[in-house]
Amino acid sequence: MTSDARAWLYIAPAAVLLLLVGGIPLAINAYHSFFDIFSLENKFWVGGEWYVSILTSERFYDSLMRSLLFSTVVICVQFPLGLLIALSLPRGGWVRSLGLILLAVPLVVPWNMIPAIWLSLINPETGAIGQLITAFDIPFDYKFNPVHTWILLVVMDTWHWVGLVAILACSGLAGIAPAYYQAAAIDRASRWQVFRFIELPKLTGALTMALLLRFMDSFMIYTEAFGINAGGPSGATTFLSLDLGEEIKAFNYGPAAARSVIYFAITLLIVHAFWRLLSARREDAV
Amino acid sequence: MTLKRILGTFGFLALTVFILLPLVQVIVLSFLSTLHHDTAPKGSLTLLNYANIFRTDRLVASFLNSTIYVSLNVALTLIVALPAAYAFARFPFRSARATFFALLAFRVTPPVVLSLPAFLLFAQIELLNTPVGVALAHCVFNVPIAIWILESFIRGVPKELDETAFLDGYSTPGFIIKHLIPVIAPGIGAAAFFCFMFSWVEVVFARTLTITDGKPITTAISSLFGFQTDIGLVMAMTTLSLVPGLVMIWFVRNHLSRGFTVRV
Repeated sequence: MTSDARAWLYIAPAAVLLLLVGGIPLAINAYHSFFDIFSLENKFWVGGEWYVSILTSERFYDSLMRSLLFSTVVICVQFPLGLLIALSLPRGGWVRSLGLILLAVPLVVPWNMIPAIWLSLINPETGAIGQLITAFDIPFDYKFNPVHTWILLVVMDTWHWVGLVAILACSGLAGIAPAYYQAAAIDRASRWQVFRFIELPKLTGALTMALLLRFMDSFMIYTEAFGINAGGPSGATTFLSLDLGEEIKAFNYGPAAARSVIYFAITLLIVHAFWRLLSARREDAV
Repeated sequence: MTLKRILGTFGFLALTVFILLPLVQVIVLSFLSTLHHDTAPKGSLTLLNYANIFRTDRLVASFLNSTIYVSLNVALTLIVALPAAYAFARFPFRSARATFFALLAFRVTPPVVLSLPAFLLFAQIELLNTPVGVALAHCVFNVPIAIWILESFIRGVPKELDETAFLDGYSTPGFIIKHLIPVIAPGIGAAAFFCFMFSWVEVVFARTLTITDGKPITTAISSLFGFQTDIGLVMAMTTLSLVPGLVMIWFVRNHLSRGFTVRV
């Protein structure tokens, strides 16, 4: 058997499974996006009409900008913070174990409970932070002030996900052989140089994984954002996925399918750009 | 040096408070009566919320449903991901990187995008309202991640291990089961943790694919919100929903801290 055929034999189970549960639904979506659908038996060909109407609507571009901004802010906050945490954790002992456990806990909270938890936390009557805000008379109104809604969303998302960045970075750091650090100490490298020339290159893989996961989950944030303010105030937190959710709830299957195809294409395009950029780096390094 | 230690301790404390505060609030509320009950007036300390969970069949059933589909999903994901990861790590084949990226594309497919057609597809093959259906759907985002993590670990194993086993007469599958799996156990632990995590907390697929039966814990919690929400009960459910995750974290804590190099 050739090497190629053997590789494909081993990849086949995963590939078949993914095509079945991911590929077929994507294909169904693409097909439905060209129809006006009243029921599955009763649908009319409309061609690219849905695409034209979505791509020419101002609302789409507004939501796209908001989603891009949200992902950018979230990544800019969570990556430095996660890296800082990973670099400050001791390399062994109970503090490290405890730290890792702590960081992992928010990751296992069901997503629909996260907004509920945070809303209860800032509730002025029963919430720990809410009572503080009232006591110190800090003006905070997440319902009607868009900036405050955004702050709440970013803080909540950071609470939820900074652990993922930190854990992946930590695992990457632990994989660096002590010899590298010894060599750096002999060369009297500064802390910054150690980070820049030893740690960062070794972390590229772990950070790429974190970046892809964080980008994709923040770009398509739905459950958490909807739970906080249902896209408000006046659409200030209406992200791409909230528009899609609205269409699905209204049973507009045709437009929803077209929208899905567009979202999938955008996400894939951006992720592919990241991937190309980071892979190119690898080839220079090796 | 002392300043650095003080800063470090302060930072660690700040992080602990930031992470734990919301959870402490959840746990405190779960032991409070937040609606007026006959046996427990509003605001009193009580175990009533937990008692109510165990008295409500659909809430208990939701735990069972979630546990079943998450376990099925982790098992299925690892079974298909391990050979694929081995192929990526060991067989140099044409278009390996393109294939790898194609697999990753499934991880970046938003569940909201797939939920509707997945519902139509699963209705056709009669996999709605069963844990099997949800377990299969969750493979879309878990299989790619598992392959990625396992591939990194397998690449870290010296090729000599494979070659010695083949000289001893092992076939490739035999070698994977007998020799490779014990060596990459930390990787399997880490992959299982990530699969567990993404499956346990996922809402959109789990809700869409279970309309009449087999409802997961996330749907059960959502259904508690209404005109007069018993927040205490919601928080008790949330507290219990953390337990399996905490157990999982406890088991893999050493695997996570031992470290691995992810390859791009």
